[in-house]
Amino acid sequence: MDSLVIENVSHWFGETRVLNNIDLRIEAGQIVAVVGPSGCGKSTLLKAILGTHPTKAGTITADGIPITGPNRNVGMVYQHYSLYDFLTAEQNVALGLKLDETSLPYRWFALPWWLSKRQEHLTRAREYLKRVHLQDAAQRYPSGLSGGMRQRVAIAQAMILKPKILLLDEPFGALDEATREDLQMMLLQFYQENLKAKAEGRVPEYTMLFVTHELNEALYVADRVVGLSRFHTEGHLGATVVYDRPCPIFKPEDPRDFSRLLEQKEELRNAVFDPEYIKHHSEYVSFWDEIAEQAAKLAPN
Amino acid sequence: MVRYPIPQWLMIVLALAGLTVAISVYGILSARLTATNPSQTSLPGIKGMLAGLKQITARQGTEEKPKESWLRQDTKASLLRLILGIAIGVFASIVVGVLMGSYLWIEAPLAPLISFMAKIPPTAMLPLYMVAFGTNIQLFIAMVALGIFFSMAMSVFQATRQDVTQEAIQKAYTLGASDMEVIFEIILPQIMPRILENIRLQIGPAMVFLIAAEALFADVGFGYRIRLESRLLRMNTVYWYLALLGCFGLLLDFLLLKLRKWLMPWFQG
Repeated sequence: MDSLVIENVSHWFGETRVLNNIDLRIEAGQIVAVVGPSGCGKSTLLKAILGTHPTKAGTITADGIPITGPNRNVGMVYQHYSLYDFLTAEQNVALGLKLDETSLPYRWFALPWWLSKRQEHLTRAREYLKRVHLQDAAQRYPSGLSGGMRQRVAIAQAMILKPKILLLDEPFGALDEATREDLQMMLLQFYQENLKAKAEGRVPEYTMLFVTHELNEALYVADRVVGLSRFHTEGHLGATVVYDRPCPIFKPEDPRDFSRLLEQKEELRNAVFDPEYIKHHSEYVSFWDEIAEQAAKLAPN
Repeated sequence: MVRYPIPQWLMIVLALAGLTVAISVYGILSARLTATNPSQTSLPGIKGMLAGLKQITARQGTEEKPKESWLRQDTKASLLRLILGIAIGVFASIVVGVLMGSYLWIEAPLAPLISFMAKIPPTAMLPLYMVAFGTNIQLFIAMVALGIFFSMAMSVFQATRQDVTQEAIQKAYTLGASDMEVIFEIILPQIMPRILENIRLQIGPAMVFLIAAEALFADVGFGYRIRLESRLLRMNTVYWYLALLGCFGLLLDFLLLKLRKWLMPWFQG
């Protein structure tokens, strides 16, 4: 089941070509890290998926529906949290339910019904706050929360609507190291829930695409790493996907043993970040082949 | 040292001292003036001031047709004009400011016009309002409302632009908001503290506009009474009116600050 399909997406600003023929298919339950040199068009791609800045060519669909503007199918977590100052943590999380499930006229003219629904929304919001370990801060305003807590609220806020895909733009970039590790482990926990759902034949709930500039973070948190850069044979036409491979899966309780990642990190640095190393863009794009190989190996005969 | 803190009790003592000095200076000046001219009314003493208080609170009219005291008549008239003027001006500037900050096709035609109008001293527009509304209550309401509208619409517009980030709006759409919901659920609550702050700042100018208009065109109201009484050199009534205006301004200020603390505990201005 595909949560996000990007086909032939290209973008340019006047004469400057930024993105060239990007193809990417993300399945429900994947946690995909996007890395690339600064200015390679990562945020352009993110804005295109979000729908605020459509690209000049190509199509993007979320769960089969073409994206024509920002909507509830694509969630977003920003680096600087962007919580609503005037809402408490639980109200911030419940906002999506309020906006998605009810309308202004309903809230104004069917007030008694809305008020009882509101209680249910807040209860659900508190459940999500519990999932991000913030049950005790439900009544606090963002100004009274630390950076890490705010980002947890932002993640719960985006997840409560169960978007087809959740975009995270350098989500932990502004946080201190210890907090960052906590939040990375939280994402790993969500990935474990995905695996459990898959094993039970359900559709996994959390599909994420996150942009980061930390290669360790990309390889540690994600199950798939995508590299975007213009260091390929058609680089003058813009950046494209030059790296797409599975990466080691950590459990939250596993030791943060980054030596497991060294080899792939070197490969990634070489394939995505080295301006001297020009290759055909598909050389390291083998995610789906490798998945098919693994599946063949696991098959009974 | 600059900004060196001092204890609270000292703050209070100094505040009272300031007040005492101001009253004493007035008393000395008044006594000296009375010594040279016993019938002076420019700086009345305690006796004169009490007579003034009696004057403004005394019932007017004849036995058969009693009328309310000046203070009551003037307060009623001025308060009604001021409240209606501020209410209309504030409401219109919120609507226009928020719409300008939300839609470029509304901003484009209106912003240049409104920033131009905001530059004209509002009291200079009085003759225009008189031509348009005569000297009815509409004149005073228009003076107050339009006097604060242009500058306040611009600040609400700026607040909509600056206080609400692009990310906050885009995120609202990803949470399933409609355009109207973005305006009512995101923009309005976010800029509400700035709106209240603006109302607080506009009360002073609003009173200026009302007093000016009343001095010129009214036959009842604070501005009318102050001008009339000062023409008659009865400063003992004028000073009471001025003191009341000051107290009224302070009270509104205080109430609006309390209101903000109560309604918007999240705001840290």
